[in-house]
Amino acid sequence: MIETFTPLIVSVGLLLSIGFLCLIVKIDAIRLLMGLEIMFNAANLAFITFSTQQSGFVDPYAQSVVMITIVLDGAVIAVGLAMILNVYKHYKTLDIRKLRRLKW
Amino acid sequence: MVMDILLSLPFPLPLFILLVGSVCIPLISILSDKIGTPRVRSYWTLLVASLSLVSIFVLYTQLMAAPNNILVFQIWGQLPPLGGCFEVDMLGLFMAFSISFLGLLVTIYTISYMKSEQRLTEFYSLLMLVMAGMLGVVFAGDMLTLFVFWEMMSITSYILVAFLKDTWRGIEAGFKYLIMSSMAGAFILLSMSLLYGFTGSLNFATLASTLKGAPLSPWFILLFSVIIVGFGVKSAIVPLHTWLPDAYSEAPDPISALLAGIATETALFALTRVLYLIFEPSVFMIPVAIFAIATMSLGNILALRQDDLKRLLAYSSIAQIGYMLIGVSTGLAYGLFGTFLHIFNHSLMKGMAFLAAGNITHQTGQRNINNMQGLIKMMPITTISLIIALLGLGGVPGTNGFISKFVLLSSAIGANLPILAVIGVINVAISMAYYLRVVMALLNDKGFKNSKIGEAPLLMVGITSLMAVLIIVLGIFPNPILGFASDASKSLLEGLKNYIGAVLG
Repeated sequence: MIETFTPLIVSVGLLLSIGFLCLIVKIDAIRLLMGLEIMFNAANLAFITFSTQQSGFVDPYAQSVVMITIVLDGAVIAVGLAMILNVYKHYKTLDIRKLRRLKW
Repeated sequence: MVMDILLSLPFPLPLFILLVGSVCIPLISILSDKIGTPRVRSYWTLLVASLSLVSIFVLYTQLMAAPNNILVFQIWGQLPPLGGCFEVDMLGLFMAFSISFLGLLVTIYTISYMKSEQRLTEFYSLLMLVMAGMLGVVFAGDMLTLFVFWEMMSITSYILVAFLKDTWRGIEAGFKYLIMSSMAGAFILLSMSLLYGFTGSLNFATLASTLKGAPLSPWFILLFSVIIVGFGVKSAIVPLHTWLPDAYSEAPDPISALLAGIATETALFALTRVLYLIFEPSVFMIPVAIFAIATMSLGNILALRQDDLKRLLAYSSIAQIGYMLIGVSTGLAYGLFGTFLHIFNHSLMKGMAFLAAGNITHQTGQRNINNMQGLIKMMPITTISLIIALLGLGGVPGTNGFISKFVLLSSAIGANLPILAVIGVINVAISMAYYLRVVMALLNDKGFKNSKIGEAPLLMVGITSLMAVLIIVLGIFPNPILGFASDASKSLLEGLKNYIGAVLG
């Protein structure tokens, strides 16, 4: 059997850091949502990775969890896009550096 | 007959009622618009919210009759260690009671406050869904159920924060909230995958029986930090708190009351439950104590320089989360008792303070403290209730805030963490500085007198003064709520083996 655990878990780490960097570095609101989606997918991939580690079979439980979470993060992204539409209506830009009118 | 069917549902009853109520409301409002009685949707919401509070008591009697005081609801006949399930114990019931109680008060308030709002159907539907999400989080019996309801609570609260979409303020706050909080959702999912990798299951009973007391490994430290980040963002632990002042100060006032009063605390509850499930208290004692110190100090210091009343209250709720973390870090039943008591008391005081701020905004359009000089002459009842709530938040004896703060600070000494108690007392002193600043402005004798500004509508004033009375009454006769909170804290520490027994046999 081919060793799949290490490459998969390394790609989980990579995806997670890419998504997190995307959230930190990018200034476009839609790209932020893409970063979120990448982070969710990293976590989903982690589930799939661990499900292959059961003895002798791939555990269907992890896959059903992944199905449910895909729907959930789809809902989050939908709400986010709706909010971006409203951001554009008020600010006439998607540059999140302009979303700084609320003072701390 | 109907009762038997309701009691044999695969859901806890309050959750079922709120979900059905929320799904039915579009249909009901279409029908009520057809026959020309648009207020029916408000009464429907009121009915659903009060039924959910009543059904908490039904659930309580069910729980008392159950062996070992634990109820396990299998979702559509799936067997618990594999499928999802709900677990109802005293702790979940205590939190559910706090949620439904504040939810009912906020619903009554909303009926009067949101009278002129055009999109009331959506608002009520979301309001019931956010309450259902919170109830699902407190009743969840495995990580997947918890995550699903967590996301339900999160998504609805993003929309509710940005509900007034004609102003830029709510939209900006809601977008910040969405980005930070869904990033935390991804971290929770990652922590779930790690837990699944360790044990092959997500059920709380399996997790606790396999992982509790296991030796610390690098993977465990990774798991701990992922859990803290994941649950910490929504419960506003300090390095992760930045969304809170924006979101809670820009949301519509009843939503600020509901979210600041109980949603943050529900997140803190989820963090507490997961931490106590997986780790021994000695593992997380020191880190959580450090978070407690940082959270209460920063919340109080930043609140000192706020001029906006709602923003000040939002920072003060960060500080209150810090006090609650003291109880979590002690690992004692007494400390947790303080935490849960403070969750209930804080839901009353902070909810009431936000609702009173809503009264003031509704009548005067002002949120700046400097423009509220001498408000006692114009809105005496609202002002007096707001003052009671602020004194309660500051922990003045005679209010319920004093009792829970006393328990929390003394539990820190009992757990050999006297530094927490010392910093806690200093923080209470700092917090009085800004509460008294508001009180001083409200009572200012030389303030302007505007005869056009009168007291808020009867229903709104009624709710705020009822809550003020409750704050005083529970400060003087706290016994009923003390017993309830004490049972809740015991069930977190000792009820775990009952749950393991109920699921794994």
